[in-house]
Order: sequence, then structure tokens, then C-alpha cells
Amino acid sequence: MKNKITFGRFEATCITITLLSTQLFLNLPRIMMEAAWTAAWILTVYISLLALVLFTIIFKLYKRFEGKDLLDLGEHIGGSIGRIIVGVIVLFFLLYIAPVILREFSENIKIIALPQSPLSFVMIFFVAGMIAASYLGIEAIVRFSAIIVPIIIAGYLLIIAGSIQYTDISRITPWLGSGPYEIFVKGIPRISVFAGIILIYLLFPFIRTYRNFKTVGYASIGLSGFFLIIGVLVFSLVYQYPTGTESFLPVYQLARLIDYGRFFQRVESIFVIVWVASALLHLTTLLFLIVYVFKKTFKLEFYKPLIIPFSIVVYTLSFFPHNLISAIELEKSFRNLAWIISFLLPIVLLVIARFIKKNPKKEAGNA
Amino acid sequence: MNRKIALLLLLLTIISILLTSCYDSHEIDDRAYAIALGFDTGTTNQLKMTLQFAIPSKISAGEGGSSGGGGEGGGSTSITTIESPTLYAGLNVINAYISKQVDLSHCKVVVFSEELARKGIHKYIHAMVRGREFRGNMHVAVSVDTAEDYIRNVSPTLEINPAKYYEMNYDSYKYTGFTGDTRLINFYMLEECSCRQAYATLVGVNKYEKSSQFSNDNSNYKEKGRDYPLEGDFYAGNIPKVYDVKSEVMGIAVFDGGTMVGSFDGEEALFHQMLYGTYEHSYISIPDPEQPNEFVLLNVSQARMPMHHVKMVGDKPYISTGVKLEADILSIQSGINYESIEKMIILESAAEEFLKKGIMHFLEKTKPLHADLCGFGRDLKARYLLWNDWVNVHWLNKYANSQFTVDVELRIRRPGLMIRSAPAKGSKGDVMN
Repeated sequence: MKNKITFGRFEATCITITLLSTQLFLNLPRIMMEAAWTAAWILTVYISLLALVLFTIIFKLYKRFEGKDLLDLGEHIGGSIGRIIVGVIVLFFLLYIAPVILREFSENIKIIALPQSPLSFVMIFFVAGMIAASYLGIEAIVRFSAIIVPIIIAGYLLIIAGSIQYTDISRITPWLGSGPYEIFVKGIPRISVFAGIILIYLLFPFIRTYRNFKTVGYASIGLSGFFLIIGVLVFSLVYQYPTGTESFLPVYQLARLIDYGRFFQRVESIFVIVWVASALLHLTTLLFLIVYVFKKTFKLEFYKPLIIPFSIVVYTLSFFPHNLISAIELEKSFRNLAWIISFLLPIVLLVIARFIKKNPKKEAGNA
Repeated sequence: MNRKIALLLLLLTIISILLTSCYDSHEIDDRAYAIALGFDTGTTNQLKMTLQFAIPSKISAGEGGSSGGGGEGGGSTSITTIESPTLYAGLNVINAYISKQVDLSHCKVVVFSEELARKGIHKYIHAMVRGREFRGNMHVAVSVDTAEDYIRNVSPTLEINPAKYYEMNYDSYKYTGFTGDTRLINFYMLEECSCRQAYATLVGVNKYEKSSQFSNDNSNYKEKGRDYPLEGDFYAGNIPKVYDVKSEVMGIAVFDGGTMVGSFDGEEALFHQMLYGTYEHSYISIPDPEQPNEFVLLNVSQARMPMHHVKMVGDKPYISTGVKLEADILSIQSGINYESIEKMIILESAAEEFLKKGIMHFLEKTKPLHADLCGFGRDLKARYLLWNDWVNVHWLNKYANSQFTVDVELRIRRPGLMIRSAPAKGSKGDVMN
């Protein structure tokens, strides 16, 4: 059965950028600084280039599997068992990060805007948005992202531009910070920052062509890499090492500093809007992927009945970390290991799939 | 269809209730906005805290013109002082006896007494940076008197809005050079910097009631080898002035890490800005090169960012610095025609020499305090590739061994609205006095 829903490259790029770049609003600049010290921006450039290289390998391998997502590849290799194994791995991956992200965003909202509101109360708004958007489906989510992502980018660039008055080039010296080994060898797992790229392997059936897949992949990684690099660079130029490693919510801290005269101050309110919009889009995409992957893994006919149960699961799991610091640690672990699922798994599946010849008739039937 | 509409209405009703933000809603009128916060060493407890609150109703009444354009700024604030073990404990106590909840999101300045600053203020700075209500653009100041005295003597007469008074008063360094950019965010960053030291605005309460009491006893002009003080040779609290507002800002307090180790007067604060590159412009009196008892007044501004070069030979830093300035002539008391090309060179050389001497004096004074205020360490840091190599230099420690070479280049650009100085004609002939 072919997908009836399709969307364009722009929409797919926007939604992928959301998944890749929202971490900027959480802890990414600080995590990069903790890893490479004054060379945080070099590490970000390095992993962005690595992500592009790995994506190039993946899309070359994908050539023979146009329109297939990771689960289809699993099925191609190992039939239903293969599909279920791949599906369960991806589900585990998504169900790990979605509650952590929900918890972090909600805790952060509590810290910066709603300190008296109970955490469960703050979370319920995110979950309500996630449920509503998931009911409307992937088409509505990506079309909405095509509208909102340019606005989020404009708000983000405004914050970055506004912080420039506080920058000082000497803050990113000594240039190699923690050292070449720490950056270029121990920094390799940091490629997990681009773990969100898994979205386009899962949405391949919706973007259909190999050419679209290539364009969306390069545009998403390229643009996200650019946003991550300037975010980390400006943060490092404003907050020297090691002071920057003390900083909670780095981009919010940058927004709080903006102060041009007595009239252009307190622009972090823009940040809150940008931030909540991107968080909601990010979490909605994750919830949709969870139910979509579950449905496809177990070949269910409908996904909508799964939305509420999985929302409850995500909501409940998000309370598992004892506190915000535990949630941040869980995110850090994810950002170290997620490359296994986002880059290694597709490469392994594609390489194995290339060596498996299928009966063309059976192939057509499966498709 | 009807079911869907009913469901939608139900949803809208629930959302409209929830979106009122019941837990965190605050009426502006229900908050007490602190605009200044002072810390002294307590007598009955660890800390003495003074808070100055704005009274918005009086400020808005003043803006309405009821006070005839002037306004009584002192009436637009309310001040309280308490003792408590910590900052937030103190706020808790204040919240218990004032009618509104204290809100620090509009706080413009935090003042530490010199006594407390010399014990170390890092913990208070951290508490403020951690708090969501404190903002990075509030100023950090050290009072030569108690912080309470200083805040109680802030009663602006030219400003109805006391918050605006603080903003403008602490930004006056942009056109006087006598203090510096001492915003909390800068202080916090410098305090934790391995290549530069932190500084705060020096404030105080003026002691003079009448002009006949004026004295130069607390000026450090003699230390600079002068016969009389120039305009910047004073610390806050000692400016020879009589004015309705007793509080004043002049000079900077210098920190080693989070502990105050010394202070610099207004002129030295100006040199600090010149050397760091944040100097905008100010009026400077230069002794006349041909008649030393007279002055030439220049409006000096920074022409280029200063150039520093630091070379480490063993444990000794050799620092050379170049400052490029330009100036407009404001006044020539002697009447000598310094506007002419030939004489202008003499004036430029004299001004360069005068400023160079002052800068050298300032730099020498920073050495025993380990106070690299001018960012020489930044330039050295850029020459290292690895952080650990840089940290092993122990720059702030070795700064005390520095040897300085200073080069000042000053170019006079404009003579004001007069192209030459002509003498007055009197019965005794030409006179310039």
C-alpha cells in the first residue's frame, strides 16, 4: 500500500531542522563547551562535517531503496521479524528521548516563566498540543512547521544578533581548548547531536523520491549545522570557558543580556515564544513518530487509537528522572550514544540489504 | 456534528480557564519593585541588606507635571534595611512586613560596602546570577561608606524616576570616563576570568555641607606629583562639591577574583578605559606646555582600539601598549595660538606626554594588586593553543612582575568654533586672563 500523503522538500526540511536544532534551546552550547572548552565551536563544525559525510554514505547506499523507510529495510532483510526488530529499536530510541525532552522543556518553562505552577500542570499543555497535532496527522504537522520554522529561525537569529555586543574574540582562545584528541577523537560520538536525522529515514515514503531525500538530508544537516555552529560560537564568544559551563539554558541567557538603550531590553519574551513553539513542534513530531512506528512495526490499520495511550506513556515516563539534573544527564547520555541508531543502524541495514536479492514480484507485493 | 461542536465548546471552556495562568499570575500593582540593593556587614547577623523600592504612583504623578517639572525624587522611593543571614532569607523577612511581594526584576544597581567587598563577594554575585529576577545589565558598585548610607542618600532632583536616575548616573562613564562599564554580567565574567580582573563602580556619600568646607586632603594628586588636583584626582565621597544629592560615583574598585583589593580614582578609571578600548569621550585638562599654570582643555575621544603586545621572558611579562586618541580644543587659557599648525604640534606632544605619564602611573599601581584590568592577558592567551598550557602560565600571578612601555598618540582635529585666540584689549595692553 503506497502512502497517499506526500509533502515537499521545504516542509520536510523544516520539520527535520526542528528535530535537529531544538536542542540549541536546551543544553547543546554548554554540552559542547564541557567537551571542548574554548574550542566548542570547532567541535560543532567538526561534527557537522562528519554528519554530512555520514549522510553522504547513507544516501549513496539508499539509491536502490527509494521510498523505503528503516522498517521497510528491516522487512527487506528479515521479513516481519526484521521489521519488528528494527521497529522496536527505533521505538525504544524515540521513547527514551521524548519523555526526557518533555521533562526538560517543562522544567525550563517552570524555571523561567511559571515558577509557581506545578510541573504536571505545565506538562499537560505540551501533551495536549502533542495529542491535538498528532490527531491531525503528519501532513498538518509538516505544513505547520513550514509556517512556524521560518518564524522560529527569525527569532533565533534576532537573539544571536542582539548578543553580539557582548562578544569578545579572546574568549574562544586558546583556539584548541581541551586539545585535538578530545575534539577530533573523543568528539566523534558527539555526532549524536544530529540524531534527529532519523526522521528522514522514517519519512522517506512521504517524500517519495531519492532526489528529494538527498535534498532534504543535505539542506537539513547543512542548515541545522549552521544554526548550531553560530549558536555555540556566539555563546562561547559571550560566555568564556569555564564560566559558560555554569550556564543553564545558554540561548535563554543570551536573550536575557540583550540591552540596546533603555527601550530595547527584556527580549527574552520573544525567546519564550520561539522556544515553546519549537518545543511543541519537536515533541509533536516525536509523538507522531512513536505512534507511526508502532503502527507500522505491528502492521496495525490505524494509528489514532494509539495517540492517547502513548501520550500517557510519555507523560508518565517524563516523571521518572528525580530532578532536572537527572533529566539533563539522561539527555547527555543520549547525545553520546544516539549515533548508533541514527547513523550506524541505517548503514548496517543498507549494507546488508544490498546483499540480499529479493524476488521482484514479492518485492512489489510488499511495497 | 452536534457532538463535535459540544466537545469543542467544552475544550474551549477548559482551556480558557487553564490559560489564565492561575498559579503564576501577578498584578503589577501587587509587587514591590526594588531598584537598588545594598549589602553591608551585619552587626546582629551575617548581612545587612538595604532595599530601595520605587513608588510607581508617585513617579507617575511627577510625570504628570504636578511638581512643576522638577519633582521630588526622594519621595518616589521607599527604603528598608534589615539584617539576615543570606540574601534570600532577607527578602523573605522583607516580604513578611511590607504589603507587597518584593520583585527584583527592575533592580538597577547592587551596592556592596567596601568592608564587605574586601572580605569577598563572589557568593553574592553567584546568588544573583543564579536568580531569575536579577538581570545582567544591573550595575555593581562598591561604596566607600556603608551601602545603606549610599542608598539612603540617593534622592535625585533632576529625575522623577529613580530607576532612570541610576541608569543614567551609572552610564555617565560614557561621557566622563570617571567610572566604567560595571554591569553585573561583566563583573561576573571578569571575576571568573583567568586573563583579566573585575572592577566595580566606586560610590560614596559626599561629606561637604558648605563650599567653605572643601578640602583636598583625600585627593591623591600629590601621589601623582602634582601641585593641585585635577578633575579626576578624587575618589567617590570626596569630590569638592555641594549639591542636593549627596550620593556620587567616581573611580572604580578593583577585585582579585571576588575580593576587593584596591581602588582607583576618576582619572585612573579614565586611563583604564583608554587602555581597554571602552573610552568614548570626556573633557581633559592638560597643563599648558608654555605656561604651566594655565590649562588647555581638550575634548578627547578614542581614535582607534588600543594595541597591546605582551611578551613573556621567563616569569616576567613585557607589555607594550599603544593608545590612539583624537581631541578637539575647548579652551586655551593662556591665549597662546595653539590652533596654528606649528603650535598645535607642541600641544599634541604635551598632551601625549601628560597622558603617558598618567597611564604609566596607573599601570604601575595595578601591579601589586595583580589587577590586569586592561586585558593584556587576553592578548597573551590568544597565543596559546591549549587551555591547559595557558592556565599553567598563571598570568594573574605573574602580572605583578610586568614591565610596561606606553605609547600615546593624540591628534588634535578641530579647534571648536574659534580658529585663533586673540587677546582682550585693556588699558594695560593685551591681556588673556
